[in-house]
Amino acid sequence: MIDEQMAVFIGSGLRLAVPIIFAATGEMLSERAGVLNLSLDGMMLMSAFTAALASWATGSPLIGVAAGVLVATAVAALQAVLSVTLRANQLVVGIGFNILALGSTTFLYREIFGPLSRDPIPGFAQLNLPWLAHIPVIGPALANQTGLAYVSILMVVVTWLILKYTSFGLAVRAVGEDPRAADKAGISVAKTRYLGVLYAGILAGLGGAFMSVADSNTFTENMTKGAGYLAITAVIFGGWNPWYTLAACLLFGFATALQFLVPALQLDVPVALLLLLPYLLALVAIAGFVGKSRQPSALTIPFERGG
Amino acid sequence: MAVLELSGLTKRFGAFTALDDISLQIERGEVHCLLGENGAGKSTLCNLVFGVHRPDAGTMTLGGEPFHPRGPAEALQRGVVMVHQHFSLVPNMSVAENLMLGRASAVLKPQDIIVRMEQLAAEYGLEIDPEARIEDLSVGERQRVEIIKCLLGDPQLLVLDEPTAVLQPDEIDALLAICRQVALRGKSVILVTHKLGEISRVADRTTVLRQGRIIETVAMEGADIRSLVRSMVGRDVQSAGSVLAAAVDIEGKTPAKPSGAAGPVSPGEAVLEISDLVYRDPHGVPRLDGLSLTVGTGEIVGIAGVEGNGQTELGLILAGLAAPSAGAIVVGGAQVGGCTPQEITDAGVGIVPEDRHAVACIKELSVAENLYLGAIGKFSRFGLLDKSARRKAAEAMMRDFDVRASSPDVSMASLSGGNQQKAVLARELSLDPLVFLLAAQPTRGLDVGAIEAVYNRIRAARDDGLGVLLISSELEELMAVSDRIAVIYRGKLVGELAAGSFSREAIGAMMSGHAHV
Repeated sequence: MIDEQMAVFIGSGLRLAVPIIFAATGEMLSERAGVLNLSLDGMMLMSAFTAALASWATGSPLIGVAAGVLVATAVAALQAVLSVTLRANQLVVGIGFNILALGSTTFLYREIFGPLSRDPIPGFAQLNLPWLAHIPVIGPALANQTGLAYVSILMVVVTWLILKYTSFGLAVRAVGEDPRAADKAGISVAKTRYLGVLYAGILAGLGGAFMSVADSNTFTENMTKGAGYLAITAVIFGGWNPWYTLAACLLFGFATALQFLVPALQLDVPVALLLLLPYLLALVAIAGFVGKSRQPSALTIPFERGG
Repeated sequence: MAVLELSGLTKRFGAFTALDDISLQIERGEVHCLLGENGAGKSTLCNLVFGVHRPDAGTMTLGGEPFHPRGPAEALQRGVVMVHQHFSLVPNMSVAENLMLGRASAVLKPQDIIVRMEQLAAEYGLEIDPEARIEDLSVGERQRVEIIKCLLGDPQLLVLDEPTAVLQPDEIDALLAICRQVALRGKSVILVTHKLGEISRVADRTTVLRQGRIIETVAMEGADIRSLVRSMVGRDVQSAGSVLAAAVDIEGKTPAKPSGAAGPVSPGEAVLEISDLVYRDPHGVPRLDGLSLTVGTGEIVGIAGVEGNGQTELGLILAGLAAPSAGAIVVGGAQVGGCTPQEITDAGVGIVPEDRHAVACIKELSVAENLYLGAIGKFSRFGLLDKSARRKAAEAMMRDFDVRASSPDVSMASLSGGNQQKAVLARELSLDPLVFLLAAQPTRGLDVGAIEAVYNRIRAARDDGLGVLLISSELEELMAVSDRIAVIYRGKLVGELAAGSFSREAIGAMMSGHAHV
């Protein structure tokens, strides 16, 4: 009985962490290049909606994911134009995008899905990998995930490899620390930052699409519920390191999953408090860790070539 | 055969013409020095060649082909490399990572870089640990990394912008030797400097720039240094006084004691007493390690040292901008260590801070506002500001200290660096009470005329009985102005010389930690 509940808890914790892992991993790379995408939540929400719409219209969740990623990438491109080329304040731009995303997805959802909101949206099936299922306790939880969940972990590995072993990763780190030095070494600061932001957009798109076509198979208004902000927090909490960021995302995922575990164990804790927990945790993490870990020196600072 | 040919280059920034019709040829295998005062256009010229800026008029050719780099990337690709005054190294990355930046294949291959570094170490004697982090290296070592970075791509032309300004004497010798090595291998070197001693030791030819124009280009064999100085400053050597006396001191002799020596040279009672001062920075790194120093009334004490040995922190602590970890600072009998800037000012301490723009003035405010920044209450009537009284007082002060501005109401930012510094000096020297003045790098970025004015002010203050602590990275400046020079090394004073016994060699050796007197 307890084992079963633990399996459900671990399974849902992982599932809830996946969108944050996607978004945080992309955001981590973008921030290492010096661009903060506060619009992460908006990118995810737009992607979640577009994925649901495309999957519903075509019957293919794969097309849904592709459409979601495309839209999120387009938002990222716009973010990059504003914050890299036009050197707009990155925080203001991000907030603007989030409001736009919430408004437009809510409006379109009501216009398009309004009477059909109970229609199921074609989604991905769980893979049920037998070789994983044999691991005790966590095995079933690990095995009963959709393919996208495994992709999220793969993306953490890929991002780590990029940063550590490729010249693009080196350029990203240099541009985020000392864009002037990078520029004088012959690196295009703008190009590197564009790619960083687009990378964040693609991953945020995957995270958003995961929510609607792999996790819940539906779209609801404001369904990200601040997951993008949690992802940004996870990056800070994780000290701009891919593995620690992953750990922070898992922590947020499990904190969210407590809302299923605690009532099942018949503990007397208000559910509202449990819903609050991940955000409370994020606040504590930021208050405790910000300043302790060293952020990229040029984070949020637009680059302008000078003497 | 000319590697680089410039003809008719002009560069304007707004209404200011930084370079005006520059035509110049750099030959293969030569070390070509660019000589000029601050603001003469040397750095701008380098930045045009390296593609940082683009000229408004004129053409460049490199190896006979047209050369108009749209950015550093294109200049690098064509074999033009540059070591900037401010290093272009990413501080929290390793040496090898910095060297791979911008020139590596898709996947990083640290091993290739390490092999190449060993070759360069053998060819030029440029040795450095590839794994070391830039932020842990000394200034001289960082510069070596910069030069290695430049030589990796086997360039045609190496541009060095004021490379010796940050180095200690033995490092300068090593650098000049490297320049000769590079030229011997058929590459060309452009070396920017305002130090004549270096030019006569390394240059094949020298071009003198003044106010954005080329005054002359001369071959160094048999050239007359004094005529170069005249070209550089545009007037006779005698009139510029001790600055030039120091500047032409190419043999390393002690310059003649300046005229101010007529004032009181035997110090009176102690006005500043620092004992066992310890300072650890926020990361816990000790920056000052038991420093003790006394400055008497009517005495200028100079602090010599390679940057990063604690002199900046000493200045910050004296100004009340950092709190000492241990030790005592007494000014005129009052303990001021760890006091607020206001309390320190009240104790009679005037401060000319190292970072003029960040600390000494508020550039957006007017000259008058800056002059009375710490004394706003002085012009307050019933809580209202009496601007006309302040304006009048500011005008008088500007006249006294020769601060040239069209009116006290123009913004501080519109003044030249020299006039800004004169305004800062005016404010600090007008404090009442005033018993001690800290002048940290007071002439940094100023032209010869302004430098002389600052020196005269400091000497006059000394003659009026003030104790002065002069922190400077310019040895010539310290030798020209100080009554006594103390040398700081790794947060401690390691030696002291009295006026008359100053020698570049002795001070240089102490600065690099090689000798104790």
